[in-house]
Amino acid sequence: MKSAAVPSPKLYLIIWFWLAGLMLLGVLLSELPISKSAIVTIILLLSSIKAILVSLYYMHLKAGHRLLAVVLLAPLLLSGLAVALVLSSRLIRL
Amino acid sequence: MSSKSHALSVSPGIPVATATGIPNGKLGMWVFLASEVMFFTGLIGAYIVLRLSHPSWPGPEHHLSVGIGTFNTLVLICSSTTIVLALAAAEHRSMKGVRLWLIATILLGLLFLGIKGWEYSAKFSHHIFPSTNVFWSCYYALTAFHALHVLGGIGFNLWVLGQTTTPALWVRHGHRLELAGLYWHFVDIVWIFLFPLLYLFS
Repeated sequence: MKSAAVPSPKLYLIIWFWLAGLMLLGVLLSELPISKSAIVTIILLLSSIKAILVSLYYMHLKAGHRLLAVVLLAPLLLSGLAVALVLSSRLIRL
Repeated sequence: MSSKSHALSVSPGIPVATATGIPNGKLGMWVFLASEVMFFTGLIGAYIVLRLSHPSWPGPEHHLSVGIGTFNTLVLICSSTTIVLALAAAEHRSMKGVRLWLIATILLGLLFLGIKGWEYSAKFSHHIFPSTNVFWSCYYALTAFHALHVLGGIGFNLWVLGQTTTPALWVRHGHRLELAGLYWHFVDIVWIFLFPLLYLFS
């Protein structure tokens, strides 16, 4: 079944380029003499962008049913809330 | 069934109408992946809490090679691309392409595990075990559970590859290529976060 809704192989390769490039950028940034908290923040942001790219284009969430996005977002939000609550005492101390 | 979900289905068989408009197998896989998100968030969350609350975090002490970790991450990213290219080949009804990209995905998965196994053996030869300190117990727990998932993904991909041997099998089970792909991408996303946490931040 051929469909226009599925991205082309060319787009998949462009996404690969971005995934590899962002990963290498993160590795290079980790070697820079800047504050560790800045490095952690930037690299986690880069990792999140990579995860979003994979989800949207490789897992087809961008063109897929919205219910699938809800199924994915619900545990992410709950997990984020749980980790934030666990870490809250430390954050408040800071 | 909505046009979108139908368009994204690689099922060669007759589409089955569902209440959600999403094929049951696909929805089931997403719900399973949602439970896996909770599982890995629990593990990673425990690691972060231990890391932040430990007064003198031991770290890998130069026993983890960023170069090897980077290469292995690249291997997994490549495998995510090859399996989505297998899906594209299925959409274009190219069985040769499906086989080629699936085999490439399986080989890349095996390469990832081979490198991880080599890393493990190097650690063992230096007498670094899960009991060595809190960092290594976290390292082995996180990477071993991830490796188990990679192994499961390879098994799933091998099964799908087996369905390409005859048209009759493919007509019945070909749609599971998309499910195998979803699982494989999830395993890739987990590693996207594990790599910096273990190799770059420690």
